[in-house]
Amino acid sequence: MNALEQTILLEPATLAEALQLQADEATRGLPLAGGTDLMVQWESGVRPPPPRALNIKSLPELRELQLDNSTLVIGAGVTHATLRRAPLVCEHAPSLAHAAAEIGGAQIQALGTIGGSIGNASPAGDLAPSLLVADAEVELASVRGARRVPVASFLLGYRKLDLAPDELIVRFHIPVLPPGAREGWRKLGPRAAQAISKVMGSYRGRIENGRIAQFAVALGSVAPTAIRLRGVEQWLIGRAIDSDTLAGAEQRAADEVHPIADIRSTAEYRRWVSGRLVRSFLEQLATS
Amino acid sequence: MKKIIRTWTINGEARTVEIPPMRRLLDVLREDLELKGTKEGCGEGECGACSVLLNGEPVTACLIAAGQVPEGADILTVEGLERTEGGRLLQKLYVEKGAAQCGFCIPGMLIASYAYLQNPDRDNTDHALRDAHAGNICRCTGYVKIVEAVRAAAEQWPKPSPLPSPGGRG
Repeated sequence: MNALEQTILLEPATLAEALQLQADEATRGLPLAGGTDLMVQWESGVRPPPPRALNIKSLPELRELQLDNSTLVIGAGVTHATLRRAPLVCEHAPSLAHAAAEIGGAQIQALGTIGGSIGNASPAGDLAPSLLVADAEVELASVRGARRVPVASFLLGYRKLDLAPDELIVRFHIPVLPPGAREGWRKLGPRAAQAISKVMGSYRGRIENGRIAQFAVALGSVAPTAIRLRGVEQWLIGRAIDSDTLAGAEQRAADEVHPIADIRSTAEYRRWVSGRLVRSFLEQLATS
Repeated sequence: MKKIIRTWTINGEARTVEIPPMRRLLDVLREDLELKGTKEGCGEGECGACSVLLNGEPVTACLIAAGQVPEGADILTVEGLERTEGGRLLQKLYVEKGAAQCGFCIPGMLIASYAYLQNPDRDNTDHALRDAHAGNICRCTGYVKIVEAVRAAAEQWPKPSPLPSPGGRG
């Protein structure tokens, strides 16, 4: 029997039961939903299997997907396959739907969840930029109660989250795309499917009277967490999208990221392509 | 280790297993149930060779802890495909078009094809067809003949029907 098979699988029937188990260090398990990252890490020995895993895959409370006034509410257990197809997501958070469609292939999309993608706390998690540009919040729950945190401050660092050991990620609150605004998503990697991104990102912006009235842009795999490029954003407000603006934004974006070199790409390429990504987002916004 | 007992419908047949809950679904299928058609390629969810349909959705069986598969779940492996009209059509067209060479990826590839073709809202564009197979890696064919086989199958695909009972060849 291999090491992973020694792990105990806890099977709460409800969220309340799950939170009760997580409340006590002696009964707590490592939350397991789609398993697309954890099962690989445990099998390969990159991370040792935990003594207990908490099966949250079947919890009905984590499957919700609804529009609440101007906020899209998405349960942590919603899969990428659902995100890419759900009309509510395609209409109100199109870059999130687009990102979900380019994660893995159909098999990974059927398993992986939005909560797992954020909870895995990888800078290469493809869904984070779309949540960041929408100023989305994550809702956490424990027996002590629930709290909501902006995704931007939830992502503390490389593999580090503002998440207490007894808390579970329950749902995301995503402000919908406002009227007149546009979103986009783009990923750079060896191929669209399966490959982990070299650099990827999203934007949400709006043009008013020929000038940029609102612009949010976030990139992943260019820093310890996915990040908003606040300097570029501020510089762009009020400008018309002309060749000077494009060149200035490209340069500023390249300066604002702080990528590393790893097996997937070099720091130099990531820096250069970050600038080009922001330029392409602005060009797309200009044609809207 | 406490084992669990689960009964699933596998290829139209009720099968009961007693297993450690963290055993991979792939190992349960291959070792406990001796359904060796499903292959292990990378074991990391990258290659798609271990694809099976779980409640109608294609998934990589190497990434699923068997304990996460609920009681009563419906699983279709490559062995079950030939009990379906669509599966037999796929088999015939893969052969006719020369879509299989070494064959190692084919059980997973057929599952991806079947999942794509069974979708009543299927998008018949080349992009959608390729996207539905993007999680399956083939190192022999260059994919062109696989795409040809699936495109031909799409034109003749039967109306969705439930899986016949075990032994049924109709």
